[in-house]
Amino acid sequence: MMQTLGPILNSAVVIMTPLLLAATGGLFTELSGMLNIALEGLMLIGAFGAIVFTHYSGSMFIGILAGILCSMLLASLIATVSLYLKANVFITGLAANLLVSGLTVVLSFKLFGNKGVVSFVNIPQLPLLHLRWIEKIPVIGNLLMGHNGFVYFSWLLLLLCNFVLYRTPFGLRLQASGLHDQVLVSLGLRPAHYRFIAFLVSGFTCALSGAQLTLNLGAYVPNITAGKGWIALVVIFLGQKRPFGLLVAACIFGLADAFSNFAQGSWDIPADFILAIPYILTLVAIIGVSIYTKRKSRIG
Amino acid sequence: MLMHDVSEKAYPNDRMIRAVQMDNITKIYEETGTLANNQVNLVLHKGEILCLAGENGAGKTTLMKILYGMERPDTGSIAIYGRRVHINSPLEANRLGIGMVHQHVMLIDDFTVAQNVTLGKEPIIHAVAYDEKRAEQLVEDIILRHHFSIIANQLVSSLSIGQKQQVEIVKMLYRNVDILILDEPTAVLTEQEIRALFVTLRSLIEQGKSLILITHKLNEIKAISDRVAIMRQGRMIAEAKTDSVDEYEISRMMMGKNVGSNIHKPSPVLSGRREIFRVSNVSVIKRDSGNPLLNNISFSSYSGEILGFAGVGGNGLTELEGILTGMLSVSQGTLEYRDTDVTKADTRKLRAMGMAYVPGDRLHTGVALEATVGESLIIHARHRLSRIGFMQRKKLAQYYRTLSHKYAIQGSMHMLTRMLSGGNIQKLILAREIDQWRDLIIFSEPTWGLDSASSQFVYDQIWLLKEQGAAIVLISSNIDEILSLSDKIIVMHRGKIVARFNHSTNEVTKEKIGTYMLGLAHQGATDDD
Ligand SMILES: Nc1ncnc2c1ncn2[C@@H]1O[C@H](COP(=O)(O)OP(=O)(O)OP(=O)(O)O)[C@@H](O)[C@H]1O
Ligand SMILES: [Mg+2]
Repeated sequence: MMQTLGPILNSAVVIMTPLLLAATGGLFTELSGMLNIALEGLMLIGAFGAIVFTHYSGSMFIGILAGILCSMLLASLIATVSLYLKANVFITGLAANLLVSGLTVVLSFKLFGNKGVVSFVNIPQLPLLHLRWIEKIPVIGNLLMGHNGFVYFSWLLLLLCNFVLYRTPFGLRLQASGLHDQVLVSLGLRPAHYRFIAFLVSGFTCALSGAQLTLNLGAYVPNITAGKGWIALVVIFLGQKRPFGLLVAACIFGLADAFSNFAQGSWDIPADFILAIPYILTLVAIIGVSIYTKRKSRIG
Repeated sequence: MLMHDVSEKAYPNDRMIRAVQMDNITKIYEETGTLANNQVNLVLHKGEILCLAGENGAGKTTLMKILYGMERPDTGSIAIYGRRVHINSPLEANRLGIGMVHQHVMLIDDFTVAQNVTLGKEPIIHAVAYDEKRAEQLVEDIILRHHFSIIANQLVSSLSIGQKQQVEIVKMLYRNVDILILDEPTAVLTEQEIRALFVTLRSLIEQGKSLILITHKLNEIKAISDRVAIMRQGRMIAEAKTDSVDEYEISRMMMGKNVGSNIHKPSPVLSGRREIFRVSNVSVIKRDSGNPLLNNISFSSYSGEILGFAGVGGNGLTELEGILTGMLSVSQGTLEYRDTDVTKADTRKLRAMGMAYVPGDRLHTGVALEATVGESLIIHARHRLSRIGFMQRKKLAQYYRTLSHKYAIQGSMHMLTRMLSGGNIQKLILAREIDQWRDLIIFSEPTWGLDSASSQFVYDQIWLLKEQGAAIVLISSNIDEILSLSDKIIVMHRGKIVARFNHSTNEVTKEKIGTYMLGLAHQGATDDD
């Protein structure tokens, strides 16, 4: 049992990380009162930027920074257009997603003469963290260790996010702008200001999320995010818009995905059915959560 | 003595320090072209209470928003303690020591009292963190100093409207303001709460603060203010020392005519009345809270009868409104509407069955602020006004014209609901609901924020509804209103019914109701009728 469970859990952790990162940033925009559907595009531009600049600079660090810069630039563009030029945030988000998916194809063709998969031989492997004394802990030791830096960073970021949202004036105001922005206006504060910052944060975390995808693979696959940005949105709602809820929700997705990957290879069940498992699970989870919230908020 | 001339020399006592001087303020709302303030002058002396009065839509809120930096005037100047200033944001206003408590509470329900109060000016610990403990302590200090009935770490959603108002005042005191504007603070308060508020206001004056108070209630102007300023149609039309005028003069200045007091004598209950709505042994118990919000309530509402509910905020009136309208589900007991069990019915179903409802929380429940006035008005009647799923614009325009004329709603069909003045929003809701009643209509705080002429109009409407045979439930914190309209009166305290009066057969006094409302007396189990 442990033999199969171990790898599944391990790959679940890797699969959930991009979701968790994107959802963490998305939580900021969500709480500030903006539906940020551009998570997908922000991830994709981060993914592309990170690997391309790693390739040219030879440094993964510089590559990731550049990916973050690209993504945050796009985020500030979306924010400016929707907050100050008052365009509908849904439309701007949609436009951003389309823009990025086109732009990456064009650039990939221009730079590498290839619209398909571009693999980069000079990209180093992502280093994995091993701490002997933690690995010695039975069961969870192996689960906690042996992952790349993004995984650990996503956990740290989640803690930080929890602190910022619930323990700082900024977090309070951010939530206020989502709950009742006129209150901020009446106090002379600008909701748009907090929403702008929320967009920047989502750009930052989405870039990391995307960077993990490409750097882990050492290659750029067109549309590598494959809807993960949208699933991250679902994670936010499933996670009840709470940092640790995000963790649980991302975990569920990670497990479902990892399990279906495993089952495809080893069980004699139609592959289509197995591939549908994560989505069925999503549906069940969403229904479960909404029933739960309804119960909780009900009186009596 | 009266002064209709509001120029410089009109102020006799020049030795008084002018805390605020607004000169020649003109404001046109660009989006709608409304001239909301027309060359208005206003002076507030240090240490005085100035009442600003005027009918709905006169421009009072606009003028105060200009002083508080929320709106920019098109012309005119403002001086604070003699120094000319440009106030272009509430932050700037706060820095100048000006604070404002808004006509509609500006609070976040999911935050605690302390969080709401300190928002924007949060105490900091460890360089970056919000110091929740200190925030709560600072707020608790202010609460204690002014004997408010709220607790710093309480969620705002659990407060009554009167208590929410207290939070607003604490919010401004926390900002150390010296000039405080209160926009219709008494509109939704009960008599006791108003008295408590006035005590607070006087103590603020003793501390050397200066206040501007907007109110429609003439007796309050007399009771609390030093001076009164009256606006009509965007202009400042009169200004006087309160001592030198009486209530009739004030109302004449407001309306250009005398308005009688709002007392109706209840007419005898019509014969042949039918039971329309029955509430039997209903309790509402909130999870993880010991005290039931409603405790074993039973009563019936009959056709052609006005059933009034009185109670101090936080004693179950809000919950009562909730269960009657299907917004809140009951934990125990049953509800019957014309012999149909509606214990589990939602608002939509109840409305479909014929219930009309004027909610107390008008901005959240009553209208969609971002919808146009026309949309807000016809939301219920969209089927009637449309054919094969398309709105018939002409019909809609005509419907709007009829109702806005009948209810004297100032505004146009195409402007956004939030651009209406507070009183006009309420008229809009009343128009919509009264127009669609069938047999049951629930009023919660129907005259909140209305000027006296409009209030009188609403009373007449309620009266008419009764004569037409409507079963009317009236929930109001205004005892005078309850007394003058209701045939039967039920008093609530701590979620229980503590007294029932049959007003059409026995005289009930305000004092009597007051003692029950405060829980000083309990009537034992008496019969409904
Ligand atoms: N944001 C806005 N945009 C356009 N018009 C507005 C806006 N706010 C107010 N008005 C209009 O300006 C006029 C004055 O409104 P204001 O709110 O100052 O009245 P008020 O004296 O406070 O009335 P009430 O007693 O009903 O609160 C009204 O005709 C109103 O419709
Ligand atoms: Mg007003």
